[in-house]
Amino acid sequence: MITVAVFAFFAVLAVVSAMLVILQKNVMHSVLYLAFTVLSVAGVFFCLQAEYLGAIQILVYGGGIVVLYIFVIIIVNLKETAPERRKLFPKLFIIALPVLLLVEVATVLFRGKTTVSPGPEEGLSFPSLAEMLFSSYLVPFEVASILLLAVLIGAIIVARKKLLHDPD
Amino acid sequence: MIPINAVFALGLILFCIGLLGVLFRKNLVIMLMSLELLLNGVNVIFAGLSYHLRSPRGSIFAIFVIIMAVSEAAVGFALVLSYFRQKKTYDPDAINDLKG
Repeated sequence: MITVAVFAFFAVLAVVSAMLVILQKNVMHSVLYLAFTVLSVAGVFFCLQAEYLGAIQILVYGGGIVVLYIFVIIIVNLKETAPERRKLFPKLFIIALPVLLLVEVATVLFRGKTTVSPGPEEGLSFPSLAEMLFSSYLVPFEVASILLLAVLIGAIIVARKKLLHDPD
Repeated sequence: MIPINAVFALGLILFCIGLLGVLFRKNLVIMLMSLELLLNGVNVIFAGLSYHLRSPRGSIFAIFVIIMAVSEAAVGFALVLSYFRQKKTYDPDAINDLKG
């Protein structure tokens, strides 16, 4: 029962701060609410007994991505930018698409009880996750490392200033 | 035991909020943040299914989704920086060089 209460607390926190992320005018405030959302989702992961996922969420999102966002916003001086245009009457389909998706979700969820047919018991423990990651999912793991290397090189090449013809 | 419907609802609401952010906001940085929200919603559903099926496979897929999200953030920021150097704006509607 206490787990459900903690889950509900973190879920409400995550939804509210996610709403605030997209409603803020100031980009820096949005980043801070994004950090809040990410940490609340980490709490949700802990409630779902995915401790490793929660730790990775705090490390990678809270420690890496949010700091990257803050650095980019500091590097790119916001005072130089023109103010954001705001449409008073957004096009109908732009608002209809997420609303339709949400309605569909609600009908699916509250029409009846979703049954999850259990498979073979594989355990949720950390050793079972590690064993499965390094046996069944070894190839995707290696491919992910190649992806990260490609991203490293590609991000440097795209983001640097073009100095190829500059002798300095 | 946390009901699976609650987990689905949380993940899908996060996904829909992210989708709204991508569609509504006219600011490239906030659009990238909304993409992170989308991927977080998917991760919540993966973790919930992993919890209900008593299997670590959902967590493993969520780990791969996180790796993908990190890559997307890094490349997205490189693109935003090089775009900003040329155009001095965050407005995605200014990306009309190809007249698409």
